Amino acid sequence: MKLKYFTSGIVKENPLLILMIGLCPALATTVSARDGFGMGIAASFVLIASNLVVSLIRRYVPNSIRIPIFIIIISTFVTIIDYVLQAYQPALYSVLGVFVPLIVVNCLILGRAEAFAYHHGVWDSFLDGAGKAVGFTLVLGLMGIIRELFAAGTVFGVAVTPAGYREQPMLFMVFAPGAFLLIGILKSIVNRLTAGKARS
Amino acid sequence: MQLNPGQVFLGALLVNNILLMRFLGLCPFFGVSNAVGTATGMSGAVMFVMLLATWVTWVLFHAVLAPLGLDFLRTAVFILVIASLVQFVEMFLKKNLRALYSSLGIYLPLITTNCAILGVTFLNVDYGFNLLNATIFALGSGLGFGLVIILFAAIRERLADAPISRSLSGYPIAFVAASLVSLAFLGFTGLFGISF
Amino acid sequence: MSATTPQWVQGRFWMVASLVIVCLVAAFSLARVYNATRPVIEQQRIEATNRALAEVLPRATRFEEQVPDTLWYGFDGADEQVGSVIKVSPRGYAGPIEALAGIGQDGRITGIYITSLKETPGLGLKATEPRFRDRFLNRTPEELRLVQDGGSIDAISAATITSRAIADGIREGIESLRHRLPIGAGKSDPPDELDFSDPARPDQP
Repeated sequence: MKLKYFTSGIVKENPLLILMIGLCPALATTVSARDGFGMGIAASFVLIASNLVVSLIRRYVPNSIRIPIFIIIISTFVTIIDYVLQAYQPALYSVLGVFVPLIVVNCLILGRAEAFAYHHGVWDSFLDGAGKAVGFTLVLGLMGIIRELFAAGTVFGVAVTPAGYREQPMLFMVFAPGAFLLIGILKSIVNRLTAGKARS
Repeated sequence: MQLNPGQVFLGALLVNNILLMRFLGLCPFFGVSNAVGTATGMSGAVMFVMLLATWVTWVLFHAVLAPLGLDFLRTAVFILVIASLVQFVEMFLKKNLRALYSSLGIYLPLITTNCAILGVTFLNVDYGFNLLNATIFALGSGLGFGLVIILFAAIRERLADAPISRSLSGYPIAFVAASLVSLAFLGFTGLFGISF
Repeated sequence: MSATTPQWVQGRFWMVASLVIVCLVAAFSLARVYNATRPVIEQQRIEATNRALAEVLPRATRFEEQVPDTLWYGFDGADEQVGSVIKVSPRGYAGPIEALAGIGQDGRITGIYITSLKETPGLGLKATEPRFRDRFLNRTPEELRLVQDGGSIDAISAATITSRAIADGIREGIESLRHRLPIGAGKSDPPDELDFSDPARPDQP
């Protein structure tokens, strides 16, 4: 029954659409499908790795200084992914920019370390981290796909709309207002679905 | 090449507003923009810590990390500096300035994970600002944060009384409102040729 | 915590020691990662520059850096100089744009290449597409202004600031480095060039 740690992160406790955390990268970096998924994967790496390490050493972390220790662990993994992306995915890195080091203040990651990994075993913490990571990445990727589709007429750089549309696409979606509007629409759909569930 | 401080200020305040254009600090933005009072308190705390954090991290980066070739510790050092700064400010206010503490105090713990602060300190380094421009940038960003969050709180106070369908009420309508406000800020694009 | 937590973990000594250990392990592993990735990052940068140089001055097979990271001379197979490449970083709409421009010996643009830009994603990115870059081909530096500024470069629709930053940036870059550019044996006559070029652009080899 431990599997629920994994699945709850994808739907019932989806970090972005239910818990509403990690909004900054979700809005700033989802300008295309590749960038959305890229950001999601980078944050996922940090989330899963920090959950693993925190749960591994949790018995030896003094209560009073646990937060600084978590922050050091998280920032180490953030810096690792920062350099790895710079070295092997420079094009993606140039888009994500400052949002890669800013993964360190993504409330999701410190929150899971504090609320879950500090009290649970390694395997459970991995499932929890992986579930939240998948839930986070899927929403980022979805937003990237939708925004790229509207603003460029492509998905993952592959043209999917007629050439006429790509000539004059709906650029609005790539700007800040488009990002806010899209997450508002997504959240209202989620509200609608969950409200229906509560009634039945 | 150093930018003119006036441009840095207006750029940070309006053209590339930290909340609406750079998407930094959105969690507190939607979290505390329910009422004008809390929004004012939060933005005061953010402005204060942003300025302090900028000074400390700027000096630390240019005097210690960069000369020693320890750039790779930047993320870890900056976040630790901000976390301990917040703690320190909280203790100091509690002891010496009770009045200020009672208005800003409850927002301080939330600031450590506010990406606006850390984001501004990173951007100061990335843009290669000197200390004057870094200070101006922090000031402009902090004021820009306050301006938008207070404006937005006023909008949300009205939204609270508006008849909104159930699936849109709460976050969704706030996002839609933010979309419209940021559309307005998009109009500042290219103001006075500011473009950083 | 759980029952297996030893007593000494909550003690004062371990409080300091654990922080020190965590910091040391973190710093050590970061140093390892940094040292492992730095050469790759450096290599990427060099390769990207070389690709861009070849792109803007296609006739050249070999480049010599004259001013570090700012000016290169390009030579062909016969070791004859065929042009120069300058790097400019004008300020765009959302941040600095870095662009390379190739200039032939006749003073005309042989190509431009945007190496980095933090413009509005999607819009600004159009500046990196050939459709925009080709608008610079064979222009003289004096022509490098937007049409609405009295030049001959059509701006990207909805990205005027980016377009202007690139056009003006390259023109100003060429002007400031003019003394180092072996254009027309150093005796170029701008008005003549303008008259000559406007009716029909001569073909670029």
